[in-house]
Amino acid sequence: MRTMLKIENLTATVGDEDDAKTIINGLTLEVPKGEVHAIMGPNGAGKSTLSYVLTGRDGYEVTGGSATLNGDDILDMDPEERAAKGLFLSFQYPVEIPGVPVMTFVRAAMNAQRKTRGEDEISAPDFIKKSREVGKALKLDAEMLKRALNVGFSGGEKKRLEIYQMMMLEPNFLILDETDSGLDIDALKTVSDGVNAMRSPDRGMLVITHYQRLLDHIKPDKVHVLSKGRIVATGGPELALRLEKEGYEGILGEVA
Amino acid sequence: MTTALRDLIANPNAAELELVARYGMQPEDVRRERLFGAFAQSGLPNRRMEAWKWTDFKAALTTLDRPSTASVEDPIPYDGALVFKFTPTGFEAPADLPNGLSVFEKGEAQALGAAEDVPMGALAASLAGEKSRPATVLLEVTSSDLPRLHFQFSGAGEASFARIVIVVRPGMAVTVSESHLGGAGLEASVIEFGLQKNASAVRTIYQRGSREEAVASTALVHLDAEAQYTQTTLSFGAKLARLETRVTHQEPSASVTLNAAYLVGKGLHTDITTHVRHGANSCVTRQLTKGAVLDGGTGVFQGKFFVPRTAGQYTDADMQHKALLLEDGAVVFAKPELEIYADDVECAHGNTCGALDDNQLFYMRQRGIPEKTARALLTQAFVAEALEEAGELEELLRGEAEAWLGAA
Ligand SMILES: Nc1ncnc2c1ncn2[C@@H]1O[C@H](COP(=O)(O)OP(=O)(O)OP(=O)(O)O)[C@@H](O)[C@H]1O
Ligand SMILES: [Mg+2]
Repeated sequence: MRTMLKIENLTATVGDEDDAKTIINGLTLEVPKGEVHAIMGPNGAGKSTLSYVLTGRDGYEVTGGSATLNGDDILDMDPEERAAKGLFLSFQYPVEIPGVPVMTFVRAAMNAQRKTRGEDEISAPDFIKKSREVGKALKLDAEMLKRALNVGFSGGEKKRLEIYQMMMLEPNFLILDETDSGLDIDALKTVSDGVNAMRSPDRGMLVITHYQRLLDHIKPDKVHVLSKGRIVATGGPELALRLEKEGYEGILGEVA
Repeated sequence: MTTALRDLIANPNAAELELVARYGMQPEDVRRERLFGAFAQSGLPNRRMEAWKWTDFKAALTTLDRPSTASVEDPIPYDGALVFKFTPTGFEAPADLPNGLSVFEKGEAQALGAAEDVPMGALAASLAGEKSRPATVLLEVTSSDLPRLHFQFSGAGEASFARIVIVVRPGMAVTVSESHLGGAGLEASVIEFGLQKNASAVRTIYQRGSREEAVASTALVHLDAEAQYTQTTLSFGAKLARLETRVTHQEPSASVTLNAAYLVGKGLHTDITTHVRHGANSCVTRQLTKGAVLDGGTGVFQGKFFVPRTAGQYTDADMQHKALLLEDGAVVFAKPELEIYADDVECAHGNTCGALDDNQLFYMRQRGIPEKTARALLTQAFVAEALEEAGELEELLRGEAEAWLGAA
């Protein structure tokens, strides 16, 4: 088993120095290459915080522990360096970027990553061809890709655009933060198909969700329960089913 | 007579004394005297005057000096345009004029309405005859098929003055561009548009100057019934740059778009001032000003809509000013004003000023876009909205803005 993402005893705070609050509190987690791990946990447990700490958002301070991706310490890297290493976050709340059309944005991102990795830029025709393929797979309207990124898009459309970006950029480690929320039943299927198409022996995924429904489509190798900033239970797909039946109280009561 | 005028300016500084001397060298003329008198009432505008509190020409121009910096190259292509140049040695008009355009180079000064409201415009009008330039360049447009008219203002040593009057006859349309390229210690110009019934004009202004120059561009726009005027400004500032536009809707159903973008770097200052009088029913004004300022730069926006009680019913007017402070130490002053006495009007305004959004920056960086590029992309997109009405010159203005942001 080759470890891809390795988090050890991570602690992190949010907020100003004077009233910093510990949100990630001794979290340990490993995702091997080729595996999909789900993270479930109550509201406010620190799931989104973990995804921000891993991707390097300002305002989140690591106070202990380590996180490596393919053996590289990522915690000291700028967010853009981590992205160029192949780390991708599908945001729980995608951000509107006024005035920058979707395709312009993704092409800028793709070429910036390539440049950082010392690769050539993608040619315009190749980019357009790829965009067309991905757009088709996700049943995206071509007109939509010409609009400013996320501006005026519905909740579900925004989530689909996150997956569009992911499929365009072909990252090697994916964090999906509640990508299923806001999607209708058909869109959930389309998006899941897209994510499943990205599964490969060279890729790892961390799928944050509240619902078993998503895990019916994207079958996880492991399920972790995150509570109060740490992983408190780990199991196979059956753990998600049990959570669905018993709720967090049952399981958390047991481990506490 | 010069002595008397000189006494009109309270505590004149060396620059004002020099302006008086220059005035004294002009041929005597009652209208010129009135124009210079309107300027002399205040002298160089200064912070004690409400309309100039953030843009103090008297403090900035203690003497009239030739800048050590040359004019910048004109980015606006000629592209078959009819080019009028105000150069260090005088004035050049195109040799051949098409049908539908008459140009009159007037030696005598012409009266200027409300000269007291625009002291720098009055100054420009009173001294425009210097350097064997015409005191007034009068253009009459009687066709809608003219090529673009381009006015270029470049390097004229210590001071450069110009006056242009454009009359667009009923139903005719004209496109005008203007480049203020620096190279003069003080460049003051006044341009007037008389748009007759259902006439239209699209005007684009490009301004760029150094930390050693002051620029005052004054425009007076009068619209008859159903006339349309669309203006787009791109200003990079100077030691002081004041780009002032005063619009009068004087007959019903005229419409105006007044857009501007200012991008101001260290040691530079841009002032976008506008005054729109809705003096007739059912007129429309759309105004969008966007600014981006770096550490040590200053942006000023002053906008006013005035709707008198006796006229101006069914006015539809919107004024938006949005500024980005790109760095600590950037300064923006804004004063949007609505003065409305008519009761059946729709007037709105908005004014925001702030830094780039951290959420947007992080989102872009998470996708691999370096911070500097992310900032430039967001700022470009922000500013571009104010350039959207520039017609054939939109792309060019965007390119200029992008180049500045790329280098910033
Ligand atoms: N900038 C911040 N300042 C103060 N508290 C914060 C900040 N960011 C997050 N928190 C707090 O950290 C805790 C964890 O938040 P986080 O968003 O990681 O939860 P989550 O597990 O993703 O929850 P959900 O399931 O609702 O998305 C919450 O109590 C939240 O209020
Ligand atoms: Mg969350």
